[in-house]
Amino acid sequence: MLAVDVKNIKKTFISKKDTVEAVKDVSFQVKQGEIFGLLGPNGAGKSTTILMLTTLLSITEGNASILGIDVATKDKEVREKIGVALQDTGIDNLLTGRELFFTTCRLWGYSKKDSEVRTNELLNLVGLIEAADRRVKTYSGGMKRRLDLGLSLVHSPEVLFLDEPTTGLDPGSRRVLWDEIKRLRDNGVTVILTTQYLEEADELADRIAIINEGLVVAEGTSDELKASIGGDVITFAFDSDDDLENAKNILSNTVQEKNELRLTVEDGASKIPGYLKDLTGQGVEVSSVSANKPTLDDVFLEVTGYRLEGSEESPTPDEESDR
Amino acid sequence: MESNRSFLVQLQILTKRMVFRVIRRPLAELPNLIISAFFLFVYDGALGGVFGGAASGTPFDFAKGNFVNFILPVSIVSASLSGAASGIYLVEDIESGVFKRYQSMPISRWAIILAPMNVGAFRVLVQSSLILGIGKFIGADPAVGNIGFLIVLSLAFIWGMGFAGYSVAAGVKSGSSQGAQAATFLFFPAIFLAPTFVPREALKGWLETAAAYNPTTYVIESMRSVMVDGWELEVLFRGYLSAGIFAAITLTFAVISARKATEKA
Repeated sequence: MLAVDVKNIKKTFISKKDTVEAVKDVSFQVKQGEIFGLLGPNGAGKSTTILMLTTLLSITEGNASILGIDVATKDKEVREKIGVALQDTGIDNLLTGRELFFTTCRLWGYSKKDSEVRTNELLNLVGLIEAADRRVKTYSGGMKRRLDLGLSLVHSPEVLFLDEPTTGLDPGSRRVLWDEIKRLRDNGVTVILTTQYLEEADELADRIAIINEGLVVAEGTSDELKASIGGDVITFAFDSDDDLENAKNILSNTVQEKNELRLTVEDGASKIPGYLKDLTGQGVEVSSVSANKPTLDDVFLEVTGYRLEGSEESPTPDEESDR
Repeated sequence: MESNRSFLVQLQILTKRMVFRVIRRPLAELPNLIISAFFLFVYDGALGGVFGGAASGTPFDFAKGNFVNFILPVSIVSASLSGAASGIYLVEDIESGVFKRYQSMPISRWAIILAPMNVGAFRVLVQSSLILGIGKFIGADPAVGNIGFLIVLSLAFIWGMGFAGYSVAAGVKSGSSQGAQAATFLFFPAIFLAPTFVPREALKGWLETAAAYNPTTYVIESMRSVMVDGWELEVLFRGYLSAGIFAAITLTFAVISARKATEKA
């Protein structure tokens, strides 16, 4: 059975002033025990898709099911099966971590005694046992995210929705959260996460759907997506606009980004001398050239025509964690 | 694991959580209590000398010798406005996203909404009881005996729940805790366009007309009847009726607003 089956869902917000199609047509399937990443820029429709799948928004058109349960008609049953940590689900800052876990355990139906046991389990799981009796308002951003993740795990959900779980975290905290998400997947939990960080999708997701302007524009494993570009990416940089424009006329099938032209070809390194000869032969001055294997960034550029904003600036876990 | 199916257990858990929040912000509870106690002390201090025992045998003897009995209902009505905190509690949860977290769980929407109202009701009872205690300490002595305190408390509770409903509706409608807070400014016309300092018969012109249409008037008169005059069932009935109608209207608005807020967009 599929963990998540989404078929042509749409979401239209109608107000007196205007109509907004936040999600135009999104379809994907997620197998049980998989981490599935929805990658896209702000406003692409990722969070709206998650809100529909977690029963917090109605679906305008299309169908979606979680573990075979229809999201639109059986929302209470769906909520029993899922864990949710959204960007804007809040945490009560006046309570302690322990009180929050205990309250959530009680709401999920644990007895008082079992709630105490489960609270300690989860505090240990997300590494907050030492801060358990401190009010949440004293927690760091990373601690709050881990608390948020822990709260979504109280009832041992089969499917976990995480909306931009590491946005705003320092690289060290991000790495800790990634490890926890992978461990959950290894324990059989299906994870659907949204992210605008390319390296997060690359590192975590077994499969990725790129969402842009409310549409799924590419889907597959990270390797499949990169391979879909075909070959290597050659990047030519130019100092002058004239050289850039002339080069565009000489080289075919290029994608421009700022002062660079990118070209995807098989065996890129061996073809660079030929391209340089063509360009310099017609008086075009190339300031630099390189050939690389495609990255998700290249895939994103290829399928959307622009780079994922901020992706280059997003900190990677390999950087210093004290940033 | 299935969610706790009992609505009452869910309500109890969510109410307890809200009580924790209130306890951890004690300073937020003080202003309304202080204002209510302030009214009692200042009005008694300023007017008690004139309209208290000294007015005995004069046309101004409406307090029948004990001005604390006469002015205590004003402080109690003021204390009962602490129920308006319900809307602020609820909107704080909406603003912080806690409301959405609970919505994503299979628990009753009504438990989520009623929990802050429960705490509002508790707040009304505590603050009104404290003011009644202060009143008794400085000389309040109901004409109908100590049961008068209970009658005053029950009227305060109903009236306070009316304000709770009003603040929840205003808060959910405005979507901000500032909106819910701003809505409590209704307090001023409610309490001052009423026979606050003198009986209604002593009011003149537009104020007399405004007081006649102000439901607070009947609540205050009802409280005063048991404090000052003794058993006057018709006056008592009018007070309960006014408070009851006010509470029914505002709670209906609260329910309608809250239902819209919890519906899926």
